[in-house]
Amino acid sequence: MTRALEVESHDTATSETGPSRSEEGGEQLFSFQELARLDEALTMSSRETGLRFTLYIGDLGKPTRSRAEELHAASGGKPTESVLIAISPGQRVVEVVTGAAAARRIPDRACALAVLSMTGSFANGDLVGGIVNGLRQLSDQAGHPSGLRRPY
Amino acid sequence: MNVAETILVFAGAPLAIIAVMALLIFLPAARSKRPRYKPGQPWEHAPVWYEPHPDHAPAAGHGETLAIGSSVYGERHGDDAAGHGSTSHGATAIGGPAAPAPVPAGPLGGARGTW
Repeated sequence: MTRALEVESHDTATSETGPSRSEEGGEQLFSFQELARLDEALTMSSRETGLRFTLYIGDLGKPTRSRAEELHAASGGKPTESVLIAISPGQRVVEVVTGAAAARRIPDRACALAVLSMTGSFANGDLVGGIVNGLRQLSDQAGHPSGLRRPY
Repeated sequence: MNVAETILVFAGAPLAIIAVMALLIFLPAARSKRPRYKPGQPWEHAPVWYEPHPDHAPAAGHGETLAIGSSVYGERHGDDAAGHGSTSHGATAIGGPAAPAPVPAGPLGGARGTW
């Protein structure tokens, strides 16, 4: 039977061709729907606030805070205006790191509240839902600066 | 209504409805083989780093992002990342695996949580 969506790649690749989406890694971390939700949450909260939200999911080593701060410094863009959400599901730790300018708009208490809602979802096994809700809380707290408002 | 018809109507029909319902409920879960995250499990995936799309980029692909492995499609390492960026996006000049130099960001804030 002919499938509506052809997922097998045809034999047109050369040695220069990168692996296709269906070939690389049998087991993906998130489904495409979940990736789309993450992508939209990150992009919209960054556009809305003018801050730069990045998300790291992986092991954070032993002093999780210092590793998260290193990652924040290397996250690209302007680090003072960037916010890193680092999640280590193996260690069951989530770290939110805000740069100096971002910390003035998102105080530590607001970060702690967002972290609390994220850990609540993570404890139920809902990684993506927790991340999306945490991003929403952080971006609501940061608000929409008047400099970003464009006349329509 | 004889005995066979009675059994068919009062036992067969409910059983058929139950079977259809069970199929509708459990078939999608059985078909998706992705293991769901449960708290306490070890995490064996490679680290991924997701970053937002740049503001006015025309359809930002996953070859020209800044942070390591920063596309929504997961992380590429070393030669693979460089090769991919230079072959499939011929015009974009990216200098190897783009790891920006660490920049100090002043007094940092944030929060930590465990679950």
